[in-house]
Amino acid sequence: MIERVGVVGGGTMGAGIAQISAQKGCQVLLYDVNQEALEKARQQIEKRLKNLAAKGSLTEGEAEEALQRIICLTDLEKLESCQLVIEAAPEKLELKEELFAQLDQICPPETILASNTSSLSITRLAARTRHGERVAGLHFFNPAPVMKLVEIVKGIKTGERCVQQLIQFVKKLSKQPVVCRDTPGFLVNRIARPFYNEALKIMGEGLADVEQIDRIMKEAGQFRMGPFELQDLIGIDVNFSTTVSVHGGFFGESRFRPHPFQERMVHSGQLGRKTGGGYYHYP
Amino acid sequence: MVIITTRNKRYAVILGDHPLAEEWRILCQKTEQFHVEDVDICLAKGIQPDIIIETTNYDLEKKRADLLRARPLIADDTLILTSVLAVAATEAASWLENRGAGQVVGYATFYPLGERKVVELAPALQTDPPFVDRARSFLELLGKKPEVVGDEAGLVFPRILALIINEAAFAYMEGTATAADIDLAMRLGTNYPQGPLAWADEIGLDDVYAVLSGLYRALGEERYRPAPILRKMVLAGWLGKKRGRGFYRYDNGEIREHD
Repeated sequence: MIERVGVVGGGTMGAGIAQISAQKGCQVLLYDVNQEALEKARQQIEKRLKNLAAKGSLTEGEAEEALQRIICLTDLEKLESCQLVIEAAPEKLELKEELFAQLDQICPPETILASNTSSLSITRLAARTRHGERVAGLHFFNPAPVMKLVEIVKGIKTGERCVQQLIQFVKKLSKQPVVCRDTPGFLVNRIARPFYNEALKIMGEGLADVEQIDRIMKEAGQFRMGPFELQDLIGIDVNFSTTVSVHGGFFGESRFRPHPFQERMVHSGQLGRKTGGGYYHYP
Repeated sequence: MVIITTRNKRYAVILGDHPLAEEWRILCQKTEQFHVEDVDICLAKGIQPDIIIETTNYDLEKKRADLLRARPLIADDTLILTSVLAVAATEAASWLENRGAGQVVGYATFYPLGERKVVELAPALQTDPPFVDRARSFLELLGKKPEVVGDEAGLVFPRILALIINEAAFAYMEGTATAADIDLAMRLGTNYPQGPLAWADEIGLDDVYAVLSGLYRALGEERYRPAPILRKMVLAGWLGKKRGRGFYRYDNGEIREHD
């Protein structure tokens, strides 16, 4: 059973993964190169745990204990003692490759090395290690403490023991694991593409407008949000780059071809709620 | 107060043996304003119905044959609603030529109709505008909310959902994950009301395939190419819940196992 977890990267995802792991009883070593980033992550986690205690989801004692279980550090070597290291660094290939090469040197061969990447090949990251059988994807969804799903991604060399241990770990976090092969976009980001892409195409063909498409998808399809509202929430730039990444990963398979209008929206700087407007206006 | 007697009831003819045909029949009868009459009886008695509702998607030859067979029943004011999951309304209307083409309005919805509050409508290029208004009023009478959109196979919701299902089917066929994990991922990872493969089983794989192959045929774009596994499952008769087997196997409508 995994009890000692390293998390690499103190950004939103790293902090969220550290928090939920600590809440569920794991000892957590949270690493970041940047002391300030660690400080911010710690504050964010503390605030969230206090909110959970205030809501009654945790007792004050549990929240305090969870916080105590997280040790922040800027020395990657210290992750040596972990049974599982989850890399949640920024989504840059060279950076992640370098981290995997270092972790491979630092951690004993039985330590599982997982990446929270949403778009990079697990097989490619594993190639930078000597023990590819202990490398897998562990893709959490934002916000990590809340979202139930975790995709466990099997690279070409990933071992069955590694997969089984990760399944147990995800269950320990009270989350739902799904296992998938290392393919572009994994499951969710790939299968959700047509929700946005085809909506854009229908709009582009002049068959229906943004509001009508959103309304139909909610009222006829029972989707919680329409494809355009949801892009505004996610960020049209983020959504566009996911599509570009999956399209590229499948060598230009036309099912994933991004819509030119979506790129124009990105060019316009109207990126959704975060900029006060996207397909809709947010005063 | 309007007293509805049998005498001033209007006639509705429903074409095809799609599960939606039965749903349309029940909805029409519930209004107490329609006699739902068999096409043969209408032909024999020379009854010209107020409305003709056509339901076939997968078998386009049958769809065309059904519409042409009902063609003698078309009066100047007969509204013709045709399912446009697999063809544009403009194409279906073209089959009727000078008798009824201007009276065709396409509709698109997936089974079960009973659960759908909204039904999409699309006029053919040839449609006379008053028939669109009549189609709207008819749906409202049945308790449905009409949404009028532009005409292309699958309209909006069925088209987008069919493409999501197609992608899930490709992922399944390629061995990316099990059907159950694909469905779990989409329900929990992005809040879909149902997993796409279980949803396909509920709709009927033949209709999902009809939308995809209809778009593929009409638009000629590779993005609409149906996943080969869908084609094979339809050919094998694994159409989903209604046949006890699709991506999952069913006992009395409950999932028994998945492959």
